[in-house]
Parts: sequence; C-alpha cells; structure tokens
Amino acid sequence: MIVLTVIVGLLMAVGLFIFLTAAVGMIRFPDFYSRLHPAGMIDCMGVLLTMGGLALFALFDGGISLASFLNFAKIVLIVVFIYITSPTATHAIIDAGMRAGLQPWTKKKDM
Amino acid sequence: MKITGLLTVIICGALLTYYAMDFPDFGDGRSPANTYLSPHFLENTMHDAHVPNSVTTILADYRGYDTMYETTVVLTAGLACFFLLRRKESTSPPARFFRHVPTGLTLRIEEGGKLPAENSKVFTRIDSLWAPDSLIIRNTCRLIIAFVQLFALYVVAHGHYSPGGGFQGGVLLGSSIILFSISNDLRRTLKRFREKTAAVLGAIGVLIYSGTGFVCLLMGAHFLNYEALSPLLGLKTGDPMARSHGIFSVEIGVAFAVMSVMIWIYYNLSSAGKHDEGL
Repeated sequence: MIVLTVIVGLLMAVGLFIFLTAAVGMIRFPDFYSRLHPAGMIDCMGVLLTMGGLALFALFDGGISLASFLNFAKIVLIVVFIYITSPTATHAIIDAGMRAGLQPWTKKKDM
Repeated sequence: MKITGLLTVIICGALLTYYAMDFPDFGDGRSPANTYLSPHFLENTMHDAHVPNSVTTILADYRGYDTMYETTVVLTAGLACFFLLRRKESTSPPARFFRHVPTGLTLRIEEGGKLPAENSKVFTRIDSLWAPDSLIIRNTCRLIIAFVQLFALYVVAHGHYSPGGGFQGGVLLGSSIILFSISNDLRRTLKRFREKTAAVLGAIGVLIYSGTGFVCLLMGAHFLNYEALSPLLGLKTGDPMARSHGIFSVEIGVAFAVMSVMIWIYYNLSSAGKHDEGL
C-alpha cells in the first residue's frame, strides 16, 4: 500500500506542478500563439499525470474488483477523449489565428 | 413610441419591485420554501415517483406545468430567430470560392462566371477565402460526434438517477450537429439535418410534453398527473413507476425541443438567415 501511495502521490504532484507552470505560462508568455502552448500542455501532460494517478488509485485501493476496474476504465476514457480533442482544439485555434493574419511575436520587433 | 416603451418598462419594473418586497428574505428559515415545501419534496421523491434524483422529480413532476412552458419558451426563441432573420431570397455574393481538391488551390469566380458542376468531385465550394480545410479537424469531429450523441442519449435516459435530463441531453445532441457544421460546412449539414426537420422536431417535442399531459387528462386525472398513466403502462394503480415513466416521456419531449431549436438557431445566426454560407 505504501508503494501505491508513493507512486500516486508522485504522479499527482508532478501533474499539479505542470498545471501550475502552465497557468503561470498562460499569463506570462508574450503573445497568442505562445500562450496556447501551455494551454495545450495542461490538457496533455497535466491531465495525463493527475488522471493516471487517480486511475491507479481507483484500481488498486481496496482491492481489484469489477467496480474498481470500471472506475479505472472511466478515468482512462476521460484521458483518451481529452487526448483526442484537446490537441485538435489547439490546432484549430492556431490555424484560425494564422488564417486571420495574426503575426507571431518575435523578439526583434521594430516598433 | 420610445416614450411609450419607456413608460411600459418603468410601470412594469415598479410593479415587479413592489410585489418583490412581499417575498421572504433570501435564506429566511421561516419562509414556506424552507419550512415544509422542500423537506416534503426531498423526503417523498422515492415514495411518490421512485426517482432518486429529486431535481428531476421536482422539474418534471411536481412543477411539470412550469417546465412545459419552459419548453415552449425554448421553441418560441427558435421561432423568433426564424422570423427575425430568415430571408427567402439568397442574395448571390459578388464572388464565390472553390477549392480544387487534388491541388488544394482556391479559385475565385466572379459573379456571372462559369461555376463548376454542383456534384463535382474535383471542386468543392468553400465559404470564404480563409475557410480551413483541415483533415485533422474533420476526422476528429467525425470520431467524436458518435460518442457525443451516445453520451447525450445516456444523459437523457439516465436523468432519473444522475445529473442530467432532457435539457442537458438535448443540448449535447444539438451541439453534436453544430460540431459537424463547424468542422465541415453549413450546406453539408443542411443536407443531413434540414431546417424543416429542425422546426418540425421542435414542435413535436413540445407536442410530446403537452400530449403526455393531455393523455393524463383523458384518463380522468389532472393535467400532467402521471399516476393516471398506470393502466396504459400495464402497472397497478398507485404504482410509483407510472410517475417515473411519465417523467421519462416528458424528458424525451424536452430533449427533442432543445436539440432542434439549438440547431435551428445556429443555422439562422451563423448564416444571417440566408442558409447558404455558414461560419
């Protein structure tokens, strides 16, 4: 049990750290496109790690049974759907930005 | 005209404020809602209607009359959008854009120019110059829409036991069609789900709701008193399952109305009532 607690705790902690850095990045990055990078990172790395920890906890805490496996499968399904939709949404938003003519930010911008 | 409108608004607002002063204070422990009404509903849902989710029972059974008019309001919103925005004659745009599929080139054809055949496989019409043609978005939406609709049916059917019900399931169903319209284009969506279908389904949804009430009336009970439905459902008189099934039939009506009205409003708003070019 202590092994499970440590593994789940580590996964959740790293996942929440990624959430925090992504939230800071969304405020601190200079323009639209670079802000979308942490936004996509929340949905991929952060959700994968936190949900992975929760899925392991749901499966092994209190013994493996049909009910705990169903909980595990539901959490895995959440991750699968977020992995399908979130990168697509980020792609679509960036595509729309490019087509609408928004120029990416560069450091040597002559004002 | 402006003065009349202003006077009407002021008088109505003053009356509303005057009568609102008689309401019990927010969170007042001695108000009727807090002394006997909500405990009664919370304690009796299982006994009355055999539905664990008391929100569903209150929404569709205890105050079913109110929800019927909510559904009617949804339909009215769709109708208002239709009457305000819909234009029959489509003003042809000065230029139309076509994409040559094998090369990905975009052609701009001026008014009066020779347009490609309607069912051409080589040229597809696109809405504006910057309309994206993304394989990723189209395939993702194709993958997701089926799951969205399946989940919507679950939400409608499972509203008795978990959060959900007709309104939420209808919104999910409608948004799956809108997702298709965003990822492809409005003309292709209109071929699959026509405007007439949306209008008729919205009216049918309200009809299912009020029809359930009328069947109760015909069976000799009050309007929307689902207990009267038990002989039709093959249940004993007084079986709480009759009310449970009555709630379910009403929820289906709500889902129909909300789904089709959402799609209808989207059609009218996204194309400014012309139904030829979407977003």
